[in-house]
Amino acid sequence: MSDPDEPKPDGGTASQPEGESPELEDHPLEWDEPENNDLAPDERASVSRPAQKDDDPKLVTGQAKYTADYETQFPDLARAAVVRSEILHGYVTDIDASAAEEMDGVHAVLTPWSEGTPDAKYTSAGQSYPEPSPWDMTVLNEHVRYVGDPIAAVAAEDAETARAAAESIEVEYEEAEYVLDPEAAHSEDAPRLFEEDEVENEIVGHDYSRNRMAHIEGEIGDVEDAVAREDVHVHETEWETIRQSHAQIEPHTTLAYTDEDDRHVLVTSTQVPNHTRRQLAHLFDVPIRDVRVSKPRVGGGFGGKQAMVVEPIPLALSIAADRPVLYEATREEEFHAMRSRHPMTVRARTAVTEDGSIEAIDLYALSNTGAYGSHGMTVAGNVGSKPMPLYSKVPNARFEADIVHTNTPQTGAMRGYGAPQGTLALEGHLDEVARDLDLDPVEFRQRHYMEVGDLDEIAGMMGGEGAERRIRSCGLDECIERGKDAIGWDDVEQPDEDHLHRGIGMALSAQGTGVAGDELGAAQLMMNEDGSFHLHVGGVDIGTGADTAFIQIAAEVLGCDEEDIVIKSSDTDVTPFDYGAYASSTTYISGMAVKKAAEDAKERILYWGSKLLEEPESNLDTGDGTVYSEETGASVSLEEIGYEAAYGHDEREHILGKGTHCTEESPPPFAAQFADVTVDEETGEFEVTELVVAVDCGVAINPGMAEGQVEGANHMSYEMAVSEGITFDDEGRSEVRGFDDYDWPTAAETPTIESILVETHEPTGPFGAKSVAEVPTNTVPPALSNAIREAVGVRITEMPITAEKINAALEDDG
Amino acid sequence: MHIDCTINGNERMFEVSKSDLLLDVLRRNGYTGAKRGCDTGACGMCTVQIDGEPTMSCVTPVAKADGATVETIEGLGTQDDLHPVQQAFVDNSALQCGFCIPGMIMRSKALLEENPDPTEAEVREALSDNLCRCTGYKKIVEAVLDASDRLAEQAVAADGGRAATDRCCDCHCAGDRPTGADRRGETDR
Ligand code: FES
Ligand code: FES
Repeated sequence: MSDPDEPKPDGGTASQPEGESPELEDHPLEWDEPENNDLAPDERASVSRPAQKDDDPKLVTGQAKYTADYETQFPDLARAAVVRSEILHGYVTDIDASAAEEMDGVHAVLTPWSEGTPDAKYTSAGQSYPEPSPWDMTVLNEHVRYVGDPIAAVAAEDAETARAAAESIEVEYEEAEYVLDPEAAHSEDAPRLFEEDEVENEIVGHDYSRNRMAHIEGEIGDVEDAVAREDVHVHETEWETIRQSHAQIEPHTTLAYTDEDDRHVLVTSTQVPNHTRRQLAHLFDVPIRDVRVSKPRVGGGFGGKQAMVVEPIPLALSIAADRPVLYEATREEEFHAMRSRHPMTVRARTAVTEDGSIEAIDLYALSNTGAYGSHGMTVAGNVGSKPMPLYSKVPNARFEADIVHTNTPQTGAMRGYGAPQGTLALEGHLDEVARDLDLDPVEFRQRHYMEVGDLDEIAGMMGGEGAERRIRSCGLDECIERGKDAIGWDDVEQPDEDHLHRGIGMALSAQGTGVAGDELGAAQLMMNEDGSFHLHVGGVDIGTGADTAFIQIAAEVLGCDEEDIVIKSSDTDVTPFDYGAYASSTTYISGMAVKKAAEDAKERILYWGSKLLEEPESNLDTGDGTVYSEETGASVSLEEIGYEAAYGHDEREHILGKGTHCTEESPPPFAAQFADVTVDEETGEFEVTELVVAVDCGVAINPGMAEGQVEGANHMSYEMAVSEGITFDDEGRSEVRGFDDYDWPTAAETPTIESILVETHEPTGPFGAKSVAEVPTNTVPPALSNAIREAVGVRITEMPITAEKINAALEDDG
Repeated sequence: MHIDCTINGNERMFEVSKSDLLLDVLRRNGYTGAKRGCDTGACGMCTVQIDGEPTMSCVTPVAKADGATVETIEGLGTQDDLHPVQQAFVDNSALQCGFCIPGMIMRSKALLEENPDPTEAEVREALSDNLCRCTGYKKIVEAVLDASDRLAEQAVAADGGRAATDRCCDCHCAGDRPTGADRRGETDR
């Protein structure tokens, strides 16, 4: 993208010019990998060894500080509450806030018309600049488009007063017609959510006259031609996914104040500190340098905090009230006014010859982006660009999507980012096709899937992420073999009762690692005189253990103990720039920046080692807290080097290292999922006894943490398969107000999840790593649908999978 | 009004209003280890023990703590000297973001006090009032089973080792106490 005003495709979109085909020489199989990147397991001192998570001791003792825990440090802290739209669609005509303003303990009240309310348009999506999401919202809204749209805000001395004040505010509306169903919303006579002049930064294919915020498409080969051939069967199926909540346990929370230098400081639970800083500077019309965004411990994000969801409100209130303001979203707000996964209908179509060769794959997605368009286009892009490349040997492929507004809560980024929806459709569809043609579903997949050396053109067909990609590591075969063994694929015993049937289903998945061509991570490292280090990273640990992975990477390079590295991550005043924790990029992008910073520092350490040991640098290496000579065995400790560098007689230096990393690469991790289910054919009741998921994540920097990521992701994926998600009543109001209504599996309702890490080596990643945390979010819905098909012969295509649906399908069948 | 209670072994007096909930009073007074996840008693983030009972402090009127013994995560172990349950969570990689962990640990501790040798199914059942979004529960359950082993060993050691050859705990296993790994099979899932 050469035009700086054009949004970058950030995640697989159609906004790239057509007709560019990947050049082989641009994507050599041989990767110029430094020697030290490819360490054999027995050569690794830190990486891929069990290391305790750096922040665990303070997390398990309750000493860790999340945003709300700073409350005791600000004696004059005010609390915020927000007035939200109670109608689905319409205009605010009048607000009576007089009762709130007069209430004791109320410090500030803001409405859309207050002077202190920013009125610029923006998007809440925390993406790179310019954002590939439309600027279609304001901080407080006159034109409201869903139940939950923020209208007014209050700061008061305590939470109770703030809530009471907010409740006393009376809002008058002029109601407008609303639309909830995406298909209906996409027609020309549907009520319109946006007038043309209400949106800036419009996205490719937008047509607001029919509520479409974007339309994207891409193709390689000629799908229509393939489908029209006489020697192929054409299969078509349609799939539907739920509106899943991130349900991150820590609600969206921000503490805002203005410091003694008139700079705005935000302590906030975010995945994207640098994007948030830029967006706030835009909204409040101040220079970027005057905003400081600092991220303490974060209680989970999963994409829900890859957005600037609440930050502007406490900042505006703190300026108006002239004191620090803390805003903690309530759990009810989390469910109806924060973000959720885009619910979608995905149609899959294939052309397959009699002997099982897939000639064409065609996916179409209708995505319901809700009232606003944050992440709308890029998530939809990933419905195609993540799962379809799995079958890189298929010659003709097409993907198309419409992203449509409805008067429902806002959607946004969520772990998997479109891939779960696409994976359900593709992996469910291919399974069905195999059964139709009487082919073994695994072999059928194996005939077409990716291998090392493949030039992945399908990922490139829409430009953007994964474009022009060479596959340099792929453990799919091993994932399948080990997964089959673990679940007992070859030996499925049927239950004794005749009405019970057991079946095992499987599904594959691929993701990306970072956004190709649209990422930046940076790190710096300072050496102390005692040989210890301070590592400053822009990369964002939102609870995944990223800080620990960074420490392990730096310790591996520096040859020191992990305890000798103190990490500070994600404070825009202190740490270097980073795009943030999303797109599975943290270990791969920010981790590589850490590695480079450590190598930069190591160079200087070796220089000082060579001075002290009087041997050429080329003989020296670091290890066990020393610099040592391979030739003579002589060594000098890092501590001696630290003192010598800081206090030496003839020469002195503060040893510093810096590293910046960006890349065009986005290597896919792979997963093979297995689900073991027993179904009662008389009632449709089913029990999932086990989930097994094998993941090729390259080299796992910290295997225990990586397994935890896989298990957590698989649990989230299981929820997508069996829970309702956020549902609405007939009037379009969210039926989910709290955890009790949001029915996701508890510890007792969760099947055993077995995670298997399959180690490969990705030459473009730090010490061979690629991503791990998203790909297992994609696979349970198709694997479970396939397992039920195997067990009782019926196919459930609409999530969630329930006993009622199975029963109805069985009755239809019978 | 004011209330008196023993928090983590210390006698404390708090000035409170009648309508105050225990979680708010704790957090206001610097016990921020208990977290706020829902305010409706539905997630377990705010779990503390009152007179040994696991209690959701976000829906508990502070008056309930008057004259009672309250234990919070802050009283359990220090970063340098973790309680066996805390250590088991660390060693089993049983936490990610950690937001659920103070409540989870307080719940697990209460469970193990009542049932020192639970099966996997019993652990899962006991933890069902405490949600976790990050871990998928598997490693948490393993940590609790591991903690049960550690506490039993500790009891043996405190007993001068006599029990090791005699009886290791109250489970009538004659020293052949099943390990966490053995018990993981005993589940109805
Ligand atoms: S915060 Fe108390 S149960 Fe959720
Ligand atoms: S570790 Fe994050 S919610 Fe449990």
